[in-house]
Amino acid sequence: MRRYLTTWNIILLLIFTILFFSILYPLFFIFKASFISSETGQFSLDSYKSFFHYPYYLRCLKNSIFVSTVATIFAVAIGVPFAVLLSRFHVPGKNIIKTLGTLPLILPTFIGAEAWLMLLGRNGILFNFLHKFGVDIPSMYGWKGIVLVFTLQFFPFVFLMVSAAINSIDSSLEEAAINLGAGRLRVLFTVTLPVITPAIFSGALVVFYLSIENFGVPILIGEDFRVLSVQAYNEFISEMGGNPSMAGALSIILLVITFGLTILQKYWVERKSYAMSALRPPEVKRLKPLPTFLIWSFCAGVVFVALAPFAVVVIASVTKTQGPVMYFGQFSLENFAMAFRISPRPILNSFFLATVATVVGIVFGIAVSYLVVRKRGTVTYLLDLLIMLPLAIAGTVLGIALAATYNEGMIVLTGTWIILALAYFIRKVPFSIKTTSSLLHQIDTSIEEASINLGVPPLMSFIKIIMPIMLPGILAGAIIMWVTTLAELSSTIVLYYGPWATMTVEIFQRIGSGDFGPASAYATILIISVIVPLFILNKVSGKDLASSL
Amino acid sequence: MSMLVSLRNITKKFGQLKAVDDVSILIEEGDFFTLLGPSGCGKTTLLRTVAGFYNPDAGDIYFGDTRINDIPAHKRGTGMVFQNYALFPHMSVFDNVAYGLRAKKLHSREITTKVKEILERIQLEEYGDRFPSQLSGGQQQRVALARALVISPQVLLMDEPLSNLDAKLRVSMREEIKRMQKELGITTIYVTHDQEEAMAVSDRIAIINLGRLEQIGNAFDIYMQPKNRFVAGFIGNSNIMKIDVNSYDDGESLLHAEIEGTKIFVKTDRPHGVRDWVYMSLRPEWIRIVGDTPEDEINVLSGTVTGVTFLGSIIRYKIRYSDKQVITIDVHDPRATEINKEGDIINFQFGVDSPVIIEE
Repeated sequence: MRRYLTTWNIILLLIFTILFFSILYPLFFIFKASFISSETGQFSLDSYKSFFHYPYYLRCLKNSIFVSTVATIFAVAIGVPFAVLLSRFHVPGKNIIKTLGTLPLILPTFIGAEAWLMLLGRNGILFNFLHKFGVDIPSMYGWKGIVLVFTLQFFPFVFLMVSAAINSIDSSLEEAAINLGAGRLRVLFTVTLPVITPAIFSGALVVFYLSIENFGVPILIGEDFRVLSVQAYNEFISEMGGNPSMAGALSIILLVITFGLTILQKYWVERKSYAMSALRPPEVKRLKPLPTFLIWSFCAGVVFVALAPFAVVVIASVTKTQGPVMYFGQFSLENFAMAFRISPRPILNSFFLATVATVVGIVFGIAVSYLVVRKRGTVTYLLDLLIMLPLAIAGTVLGIALAATYNEGMIVLTGTWIILALAYFIRKVPFSIKTTSSLLHQIDTSIEEASINLGVPPLMSFIKIIMPIMLPGILAGAIIMWVTTLAELSSTIVLYYGPWATMTVEIFQRIGSGDFGPASAYATILIISVIVPLFILNKVSGKDLASSL
Repeated sequence: MSMLVSLRNITKKFGQLKAVDDVSILIEEGDFFTLLGPSGCGKTTLLRTVAGFYNPDAGDIYFGDTRINDIPAHKRGTGMVFQNYALFPHMSVFDNVAYGLRAKKLHSREITTKVKEILERIQLEEYGDRFPSQLSGGQQQRVALARALVISPQVLLMDEPLSNLDAKLRVSMREEIKRMQKELGITTIYVTHDQEEAMAVSDRIAIINLGRLEQIGNAFDIYMQPKNRFVAGFIGNSNIMKIDVNSYDDGESLLHAEIEGTKIFVKTDRPHGVRDWVYMSLRPEWIRIVGDTPEDEINVLSGTVTGVTFLGSIIRYKIRYSDKQVITIDVHDPRATEINKEGDIINFQFGVDSPVIIEE
């Protein structure tokens, strides 16, 4: 018994060491840096002072909050009716609409931005097309474009959370209201909506969080409209003339916001949720043809507008291009030839780094899940909180923290592939832990005890009994880690170094230089690499993987 | 194979709560011993302490002459049947049963023989290739039992093994368990909250309440001579009545007492202390309804019928015999007597040796 305990204690120590070096210390490092003047090297509050003094910086904060708020409002305005209509009414092609409706949240946002640039940018096809007919639509650069992309890519979170809530309302609840004399509208406003309100808030918070931490979209289409994440990156990357203290301060300010949102999510929204298990889910109503058609048009329309841009990217990838000029209608595989033959390195880099991060993440995730679920105690409770910390940190901030910490000193990692793998690992490992631990929760302790009782030592029992049962969860977690790592831009852009550019970096840079053809080819490879594993796993495990994100 | 199990002054605390409080039990070799009590009484905790899943905060556990407190769970050689069976869902029935034998590193031919033998014994020889999810509840139960028995454990531990089965199956399974236990002669500790089940299977029963041992004995003794109010109420139904003591006749072991002013006599060996009142337990089936009171009969009371329930084999009457006191009487063979109605005033009587004087 005693020896067994120490085995786990060593693992626990190892876990804390990894967490310390990959997240706690780097955060502390930039926190410290933000209080040190870059001119004198002394303690100073200059960075924070200038942040609150110069409108230039304050505007970034205001901009961040502004786009996030507007995008959240739109995402809720689309996501809630989308969820309610789809779960309560008969809609033709409902399952396809539902599946496609969750797709945007696994597609990289900066590719969405690229697509909209190709459609509505200065030389966009739709823009030019409408211009020919004398219709000039307002510029999509700045906050309007950012809000557009955020709304379309993040509304699925609201949709998923609200439909989960609405499907868990037992029909007896609404029947009770009707029985007490309430009309249909009254039931909607006094029973149904209040019960799903926590889910709406929860979804809204996620959208707000993802919007405020996003980097790829505002940097690509924001132009003069600067947000916090972009500004922190700018301050950090122009390192020679830049200001590490200011970059630190901006990171800390962004961190405070994202951290606050996470805490709000965990303690306020979760506590307010009305967990129910519906014995009899509400009935799905069949309406007359006209209302059914209207509902269908809305839902299908939303899905179309959200996904069509990605189709444009795929089409662009097989279109003849010359720099920024695209000859739509002329088929060509040149872009792919370029991607695979001339510079395949980014593709290999992405796959290699994602695989390394995932493999480490699986092992780490299993150990952490087991400790948190089965070895309850103060230390493991702390671990449970700590392990979700990476979810509360913007990718840009994590990137800056790691790059600054391991730039010099005892351990130098900046400029190596290891720092990229480390960033990916720590940023995505919570996904792996979430899926494994939720599965472990469902495995009764007695299964393990039965094995011990039959003479197999505890650690061996875990490997022989629990691991095989957890396999689907481990696999799901691994795939989610792998695909989200492939799509990771915000921390990569801070940390990568020449030969270790990934697909995301390649796409990002080519969009920046207007090289849309090759960018689209890489983007298409990325989209396929993300969708195919998720699709396979979805078929195999039969569960909606998008919901575990 | 069979083993004497001795629990000495076992205490197990969870935080401040004493889940098991200074319990000592000696279980004879080959005994079918049941820990019986309401849910949360600590009986499962005690069983898990024997299995080695909990370390007692105080006290010793002995298997034969060996103190096993420091032996880890996987080396204790107990076979445990879990409440939810805990079959390994990713293994076939055969692999589930073979699991413990493989852990012992037995020769594969020997394993096959043993597993086949035990599967035959539980009449599941055709089911070796099935998976737990393809079995009915009763079949899963038998596989769990086979898995625990096949390793020839020193002690068989069973944690409410029948609670997930329906009522009919529960009765046939408990007979099967009892039969196999007797055939193998294996010392068994069985946990249940179902008093009928406990009485049906056990050689001896320990009644546990709030972590403490209330009474140990065979089913007959516990039913006939409950020690205290808890045991009297938990095993079967009982009327617990407070009676005023007048005197005690040592020669005839007869207690002279009163219930609500009516003189009664109770035969008892138990010292009743110096108090002028005691509790007595009176089983509903030991009271009979009598017609007009013959002058010389003793222990006759009267009251008003306030409830009549027909339960098939018995009629259960509730009779109010004073302002506050209601007594339950079970009358067997309802055809034999006229059925009384609510509001009827009737006389009832019990024998001098029917009540049991009990502790608080």
